[in-house]
Amino acid sequence: MRYLARRAAWTVIALLGVSVLIFVLVRLLPGSIVDILAGTEGQLSREQREQILRQFGLDRPWPVQYLQWLLAMLQGNFGWSFRSSQPVATLLASRLPITIELALLSVCGVALGGIPLGILASVSRSARVKTLVQIVGLLGLSVPNFWIAVLLIIAASTLAGWLPALIYVSPWSDPWVNLQQMFLPVLSLTLGLAAVVVRMTRSSMLEVLSQEFVRVARAKGLSARVVLLRHALANALIPIVTVLGLQAGYLLGGVVITEQIFGLPGLGWMLLNGVYQRDYPVVQATVMLFAVTFVLVNLVVDLLYTYLDPRIRYE
Amino acid sequence: MSDPGAVAGLPSILDVGPAAPPAGLHLGRALRRTPAALIGVVAVGVVVLVALLAPVLAPYDAVAQIAQPLLRPGPGYLLGTDEFGRDELSRLIAGARVSLYVGGLAVLIALALGGPSGVLAGYHGGWVDDVTMRIMDVLLSLPALVLAIAITSVLGPSLTNVMIAIGIVYAPTFARVARGPTLAVARVPYIEAARAVGASSPTIVRRHVLPNVAAPILVQTTVSLSTAILTEAALSFLGLGTQPPTASWGLMLSAARQYMRLDPWIAVLPGSAIALTVLGFNLLGDGLRDLLDPQLRSR
Repeated sequence: MRYLARRAAWTVIALLGVSVLIFVLVRLLPGSIVDILAGTEGQLSREQREQILRQFGLDRPWPVQYLQWLLAMLQGNFGWSFRSSQPVATLLASRLPITIELALLSVCGVALGGIPLGILASVSRSARVKTLVQIVGLLGLSVPNFWIAVLLIIAASTLAGWLPALIYVSPWSDPWVNLQQMFLPVLSLTLGLAAVVVRMTRSSMLEVLSQEFVRVARAKGLSARVVLLRHALANALIPIVTVLGLQAGYLLGGVVITEQIFGLPGLGWMLLNGVYQRDYPVVQATVMLFAVTFVLVNLVVDLLYTYLDPRIRYE
Repeated sequence: MSDPGAVAGLPSILDVGPAAPPAGLHLGRALRRTPAALIGVVAVGVVVLVALLAPVLAPYDAVAQIAQPLLRPGPGYLLGTDEFGRDELSRLIAGARVSLYVGGLAVLIALALGGPSGVLAGYHGGWVDDVTMRIMDVLLSLPALVLAIAITSVLGPSLTNVMIAIGIVYAPTFARVARGPTLAVARVPYIEAARAVGASSPTIVRRHVLPNVAAPILVQTTVSLSTAILTEAALSFLGLGTQPPTASWGLMLSAARQYMRLDPWIAVLPGSAIALTVLGFNLLGDGLRDLLDPQLRSR
């Protein structure tokens, strides 16, 4: 419990740090803060500008401005997008589920594809399998997911003559069309990461399989399957979960490009369009939300350790 | 790593011995033992050579519009032309330069920012350690690509700004890698002994700390080159990195998205170049890790 409290406290501090970073970054932008935050370059008279400055408290010192911004955010007020003239919070609420769906499907794909293959590879002791898994794992790290995405689109459209509907359809209105739309993006995010998981699973399984208790389990006459899955895998899971957790960050970054390529209007799409249109309230909010998601995922991974291995007690 | 007689999962007999063998002596043998690393050396070597010899190798000017657009590979234009009628091969070759230049300088920036902070944090300990590493934690609280996008959106898209952004993004990794061994070595008795005989902190750091930090930093530098090149390609792909008409692999791939149905080649080539280069640095990094730290062998 004490560990949990401390860990949670550090998480909050790190997020506060991110908020300071975002605040300072936006104020480093050239030009007047009114124009940056209201998107009104060269359209305002001096009086209007000063009025807006006063109205939004932008004439006060930076620390006061920061606290106002932070408090507003904590109350769910992320300001207004000046390109779509909607509250940023409304936009976020409609974008976030798409990204969550994409990320969750991808994590499932990575785990379901990578772990079984890794177990299979751990049964073989040949040097060739070892080198093969090593190289495939590194390929997974090396091949950019946006290239895989582009190749998948080429393959689907020219070879299979198939491309899903271009306008995003939510799973609530038509789950089948939605799944079709998610298929290629998820595959493009999954392939590379699954290769990494195969490699990690294999090495982690080998580590465990060489231990005494596995030999004892075999000597007891347990079947190979029970030894492999119940005894070995349960103990090999920790490094695998670590890698999956680390990949969540990579995945969140990958989501940005993937959403852009496949036209999925999620959080990453929103961030990029905010950047392209210099819609800084949107950029601030999306970057902050990425940080919150990322940090929470890492927290969950940490907590999973204690669940997977009762020996780990953070004190 | 094909160590004959090694039992999978057990430390091989080759693991026993000095932690860091004199690299030069065993490099040749080590490379033969690890075919993967050898492939890495060859891949990186090819890309570096191509980048260095770019003016000699490239048949045409990489930004000159000299032929019909979207020509298929053939004689005259070996890999065809892009959507502006620029020679694809020449642009690939020029792209190697951009990738290595941006990736290399970005990693240097990351190393210059992160390395000393990590050593300082680990050596000094206490509040210096806390403050430094918490700042690094903040940077690590964002997915790398998101942070890089946020920084370039403020600095504006350009070659230099991409290098700065990537440098900042990967600095925390170097800080962590440098801090670990520093922390471990700063508390051992021989450091205390050195201090007792009057060695100053800079001397201790130089003589006793840095040699312990050098190996992991070298491995991290190699691996970071791969991620930095990937990040540059991603940012350029998104239009936030290298700007046209400069030949950058990410930029070429992004342009290819519009024309790939007419000519799939222009999507295949730059992607392969990125993958080959990044794979090369990853294999090299893995090989170096095996060589410098036999206890951490990847299986």
